[in-house]
Amino acid sequence: MTDDPAQLLHRPKRPKALISMVPMIDVMLILLIFFMVTSTYINLDMIPALERSADATADPQPTQGDGGDVLMVRIGADGTPTIRGQAYAQTDLERLFADRIRQDANQQVLILPSGSANMQALVSVMDTATLSGVTQLQIVRLDASP
Amino acid sequence: MRLARRPSRAPPETIVALIDVVFFLLVFFMLIGRMDATAPFDVTPPVAVTGADMPSGGMTVSISAKGALALDGLGVTIPQLDARVAQALAEAPQTLIRINANSAVELRHVLPLLRRIEGLGAQEIALVVTPEQHDANR
Repeated sequence: MTDDPAQLLHRPKRPKALISMVPMIDVMLILLIFFMVTSTYINLDMIPALERSADATADPQPTQGDGGDVLMVRIGADGTPTIRGQAYAQTDLERLFADRIRQDANQQVLILPSGSANMQALVSVMDTATLSGVTQLQIVRLDASP
Repeated sequence: MRLARRPSRAPPETIVALIDVVFFLLVFFMLIGRMDATAPFDVTPPVAVTGADMPSGGMTVSISAKGALALDGLGVTIPQLDARVAQALAEAPQTLIRINANSAVELRHVLPLLRRIEGLGAQEIALVVTPEQHDANR
């Protein structure tokens, strides 16, 4: 053994990383927390309530279909759909709509909801009508006269 | 002579796996989340299975179960709502107006509002629904 420094073996130093990963991880974690906190994760859809084409000049008026009358569905304050004074369950309503559509594909359905009925009741009737194939669906509302 | 053994150093933990996991989670939350402005009150939209996919953009009018209003996440009164919607429709008449009403709100709070917005010249109005049952949504 010798203490001559010229004969000492030096381990080469590991090259230092050119770009540090730590700031990138910090930014990614902040972005992750941001998206987790600010996003909503509920699955939302939409039902068109008004689609006015550019060439439409007037609102469509209720017209009679080829084979039947306009079907008026009232929604009571408790949310029960009623046709000509008879209350219908959702399944019966769907069956009725389907029968009418079989007779007249352009069967028009008017919905007259009570102001005390809730939103779910209206959407349920609209949903049932759409499921049954009704395409002519309108919501009507009685305005108090001045 | 006994030579002291140098304590073995723990291998450096690789952070590559951590980066992978964080990056995966980041992409996951970016894809499944919506960045819409949320209303200052709870809104549980009505359930409907025939709803169509909702496009982004437009304005969202939220209605609480008691009839309180919010426009794009900020509580508003009816005159403020009218002014802001009218301004937006004047700039872009095709603006989609979404009505995000609580499923329990009475229609006397919703239908007159629809009429007002229609009267302001809105070309497209949509009701926000959800295909799944939820307890609450902010």
